[in-house]
Amino acid sequence: MADAIQKKLKAELEKYTQMQKDVSKSMSARQKLETQLTENNIVKEELDLLDSTNTVYKLIGPVLVKQDLDEAKATVAKRLEYINGEIQRYETLLKDMEKKSEQHREVLSSLQQEFQRAQGLAVGKV
Amino acid sequence: MAEKGKINIEHHGGVARLLEEHEKVVKDCESRIQHWMKVSGDYEALTDRLKTLPDQLSYDIMVPFGPLAFMPGRLVHTNEITVLLGDNWFAKCSTKQAQKIVDHRMKYVKCELDDLSKTMKNFEARVGFAKDLETISASKGDYVDIKEEVGNNDTAVRKGRQRIAHKPNSKPKLDAILDLKEEDEENGGEGDGGSRKGIMTEEELWARLDELEKLEELQDEQDRLSDNADMNGEDTSSSSSEEEKEGDTAPPVNGLSLKPSWTSMPHSNAPPNIDRKEEEDDEEEEGNCLPTIFFSHTVEPKKVRINTGKNTTLKFSERKEQKEHSKRKKKNGHSNGHSHHELHKITTPADIYRLFVDVKNGEPIPRKSILKSRSRENSVCSDTSESSAADFEERRMIGRSFSHDEATHSDTSDGITEEDSPTAVPLHPASRFEAFSGTVVEKDPMPSAVPHLTIVPPALPTILERKQEEVAPDIAPPQQAPKRVSKFKAARLQQK
Repeated sequence: MADAIQKKLKAELEKYTQMQKDVSKSMSARQKLETQLTENNIVKEELDLLDSTNTVYKLIGPVLVKQDLDEAKATVAKRLEYINGEIQRYETLLKDMEKKSEQHREVLSSLQQEFQRAQGLAVGKV
Repeated sequence: MAEKGKINIEHHGGVARLLEEHEKVVKDCESRIQHWMKVSGDYEALTDRLKTLPDQLSYDIMVPFGPLAFMPGRLVHTNEITVLLGDNWFAKCSTKQAQKIVDHRMKYVKCELDDLSKTMKNFEARVGFAKDLETISASKGDYVDIKEEVGNNDTAVRKGRQRIAHKPNSKPKLDAILDLKEEDEENGGEGDGGSRKGIMTEEELWARLDELEKLEELQDEQDRLSDNADMNGEDTSSSSSEEEKEGDTAPPVNGLSLKPSWTSMPHSNAPPNIDRKEEEDDEEEEGNCLPTIFFSHTVEPKKVRINTGKNTTLKFSERKEQKEHSKRKKKNGHSNGHSHHELHKITTPADIYRLFVDVKNGEPIPRKSILKSRSRENSVCSDTSESSAADFEERRMIGRSFSHDEATHSDTSDGITEEDSPTAVPLHPASRFEAFSGTVVEKDPMPSAVPHLTIVPPALPTILERKQEEVAPDIAPPQQAPKRVSKFKAARLQQK
């Protein structure tokens, strides 16, 4: 009886650690997105400071490609939107994962209790 | 005792951990600040370079060739700068435009620096606090833990307006419906079993709704009654647990002894209530079948408008509590007047109330705070809040006559509209030193209180004299102070 519970406990524990890893991965991805967001914001503002006399280049691989100022602005704006969307997605994902991990935690604790009880019984019997 | 020790140890461990975390955050903030300082330094060097660069058309320089060699070379196009805007975007600009971009970036860096320093300050404060907590929990320092046991909240006496917490069951309809919906959603996949469950719960919910409605009605009644009680006693409506502990909540002014515990001290609060009632009932009588005074205490500092022509306002938040506290103690310590030797020591505001009692009709009548409606007549400023030392003197110099009444009105700001205070004032200007005309309209079955009220007319002319007398004695040892008892206490004593 105690062994079965122990096995169950181990399985649950593994699942829980897996969940935690996923959560932390999503967290770090989200943080990256946040830095990109701030960076793109700065780029947008600096592009606004420039006028059409200066040429804008984009670094694609080892090549600096000339770009139109307006095009560049549009591209940056689009990128910003995309990043925001991604952040939202990750947020919902994180929330879900949190909920699931909570559930797992509860299951784990209940299993642990059972296990302790079973152990107590076993000790008592012995 | 062992438990206490254990708790202390746990606290200690917890606090140490807290301290650790806070310090970690502080260190992190520090390192980030260092980083941003470096960045800002770099940008400043850049600005300098940008300023001097276009001075010449070309510069002769030694160009680094790999990590070990230099080559003589020339720096040309000194006004053309290719700026990295971030995220692999470049822009070719002149030095002036580049300068603008650099300035813009410096602004951002400064923002970050400010935020970080703010957070650091916050956390440093927290670290300090955690350290203090450590000393407290380890009982090393001079700190004393002040604990107040909260008594049973049957009477639900609270400061401020009686509020019903939104318990999960207090809003049955909405929640029930929501729950039902959620259940349905969750059970959607389970098919029939789920829907059946849904129906069952619906019936249960209706039954529960009925139950809860009844409960709510009961609650409302209770609240109304307790509100009445609240209003009727300045010194009893405070939520201080001590009141409940001592069971000294005042009865409603009209003598509705709603809760048995409140009948113990019926009289001490009747006078102020009656006074207030006199003014307030005029406005509120039509509205209620029972004369009720809507009065409630809040802990927030209330401006006591002491209208002495100067319209000074004072705050007396803690005073009320202390007053109530002292009132409580006063009520409990009936025989305080008799055991003088114990009372020499003044440790709490309550002691002052105990000590400075006036002798009236041969009985020791404890003074009431000036913020009570009748206090002006009977005593000089028994308000004993610590902060009021200066205000105290000030108030004495000013001949507060009815400001007190106004004060009570402002006390009762919750339930009493602003109309009450203005109406209160016209009642009094004629008799400057009389807090009330001597007639009390009381609708409670306590007629014995009335004669007492008339017996103890203000005698306010004496206040001035007393003021001079008591400026010193209030702070001086108590024995020299005349004994006074509020007319309500006197009534009560008489009754007994």
